[in-house]
Amino acid sequence: MSKPSSLKVGPFTSNVMVRKRYVIPYLIIIWMSIFIVQIEIWLYWNLFYYSFQFLLFLPLLFISLYLSIIFVSLVETKIFLIIINMIHKPREGVFLRDLSDKDYRYWSLRNVIKKWPIWVSHKFPFPFMDNICFKMFGVKTKFRNSLFEGWVDCEFINFGKDVVVGQGSIIQSSTIIGDNLIIKKTIINDDVKIGAHSVVTPGTIIGRNTILAANSLTTMGQKLDENWIYLGIPAQKFKENRYNDDDIELILEESIEDIEELRKLYELLYFKRHDTSASVKERTQKKKTPSQQEKGKAKEKKQIKLIKV
Amino acid sequence: MNELEKSSSVDSFDYILDFNTSSAISRIKLNFLLFYIPIIWISGLLLTSSFFGLIEYFDLWFMFPILPFILFGMYFVFVFSTMITSKLFLIFINLIHKPKQGIFRAEESDRDFKFWCMRIEIKKIGVWLLKHLPLPWVDVWAFRWFGVKMDFSSHLTDAWVDVEFIKFGRKVTVGQGAVVMSSMIVGKYLIIKECVFDDYTVIGGVSTIAPGTIIGKDSILGALSTTNYKQLLEEGWIFFGIPGIKLKPNRFAEEKSEIIIKRDVDTKTKYEIRKKINIDEDKRDLI
Repeated sequence: MSKPSSLKVGPFTSNVMVRKRYVIPYLIIIWMSIFIVQIEIWLYWNLFYYSFQFLLFLPLLFISLYLSIIFVSLVETKIFLIIINMIHKPREGVFLRDLSDKDYRYWSLRNVIKKWPIWVSHKFPFPFMDNICFKMFGVKTKFRNSLFEGWVDCEFINFGKDVVVGQGSIIQSSTIIGDNLIIKKTIINDDVKIGAHSVVTPGTIIGRNTILAANSLTTMGQKLDENWIYLGIPAQKFKENRYNDDDIELILEESIEDIEELRKLYELLYFKRHDTSASVKERTQKKKTPSQQEKGKAKEKKQIKLIKV
Repeated sequence: MNELEKSSSVDSFDYILDFNTSSAISRIKLNFLLFYIPIIWISGLLLTSSFFGLIEYFDLWFMFPILPFILFGMYFVFVFSTMITSKLFLIFINLIHKPKQGIFRAEESDRDFKFWCMRIEIKKIGVWLLKHLPLPWVDVWAFRWFGVKMDFSSHLTDAWVDVEFIKFGRKVTVGQGAVVMSSMIVGKYLIIKECVFDDYTVIGGVSTIAPGTIIGKDSILGALSTTNYKQLLEEGWIFFGIPGIKLKPNRFAEEKSEIIIKRDVDTKTKYEIRKKINIDEDKRDLI
């Protein structure tokens, strides 16, 4: 619940800015939204200047100022977004990560425009404001979903009912791989719980009532079935989700004693980075042999040179 | 296929918790604003009244050079007033329903779940305000104030932490981006269990700690590793992996204990003894 100060999550837009002139609409949005603040302060000053009410309602004024900044900037960004989407419609696909590509340029322009209202709404401990932003930008969510603790992209994502995004987890709909920008729609259905530190890559479809456990990762375009618990890198079926059954409180009190055996099960599910078939000695020999061969070659070369001389 | 598998016999192993989820609140309601607005209003009143009092009392030209200090102080006035008001709310709520450990239904009809959500939302303002300051040790006040048992010697700034049912020893460090959970939502159930960290434990970055873990003295949990529900990590070992198992004994702890502080009972004074552990016993007299 308490957010780390060095790892401030949000705004939920990537920091890619292709052209410097994209700052202009961004600055206009900031300027116009703060302009409203001035008007409100002026009105408040004129209404209760140096009276008892001036002190009494001052804190409420600040809350209303904050809310008005959010809503005004939201309306402005919505207008900008509509204009931009009229010029070029956002679409899924694989695009070239280059200035010449129109989709890439407009993707970064959209991200720059969305940044200010989301940043402002995320800088408030009340978790409700983000959901309004997501709804305005075209992400299908319910207001009761808690998407506050993680990092969520703000386009091409569908959320169902009662979705929970855990602490430090990432839900993407677009990634940059090499020279390509990939945009794909991710769909997360009802009652899905996503654990801490897990990553959902673009194009994944998660069926309803599944749990993606902590520290796991999905691949591009992966489909997770209903009523299962997924775990691992990449996510694999771990066991069936029976935690919606009744009267299992007593069993939940128990815990696993032999952790090493559980670790062996987990080892199968997580991606291995070394060759398991070879023993340690063989691996060291494998590492040594090429270098020794090279040395031998170098010696041969020297001998050849000597002969030539 | 699924129906066939479901109809087959169900062991208790199907229900045992051998994975982690998160402790984020599962439902966000507009009711939380009932706490937020009064807390901000009351603490804002304290702030404004103190600021206008200062303006009335002091000359404006006297205020001008020390204005940065005053603004910084005002922030702290606001923070402490929010802490006090939210603590009052917490006491009131805990009188209605006492927080307790156990396993509850994660439904709105369940009293424990409802009050758990409320407690988290109330505590959020004070912790959030202190976390966004450039002073890293300040948020320990908030943690202590809201019921985490910890010292100023331990470090918690860069981690997601549930602010209840957590016990800390001396000089505990929690790494960047780690998640320390004392509560977890799995399916229909909310699980609340206390986490205990003994003295000199170190927890690596981006690790997740499940509810009910007990970490012994001088032990280390490596980066990117997790603990299982109700796992007990023995003292003096380094643990690593998903879930964390013994990697090697913690030799670093022995070097640390070279300096032993002893207290003389009669004179009530502290004095240090330097003791070299890694030298052979025959050669100790030479030094």
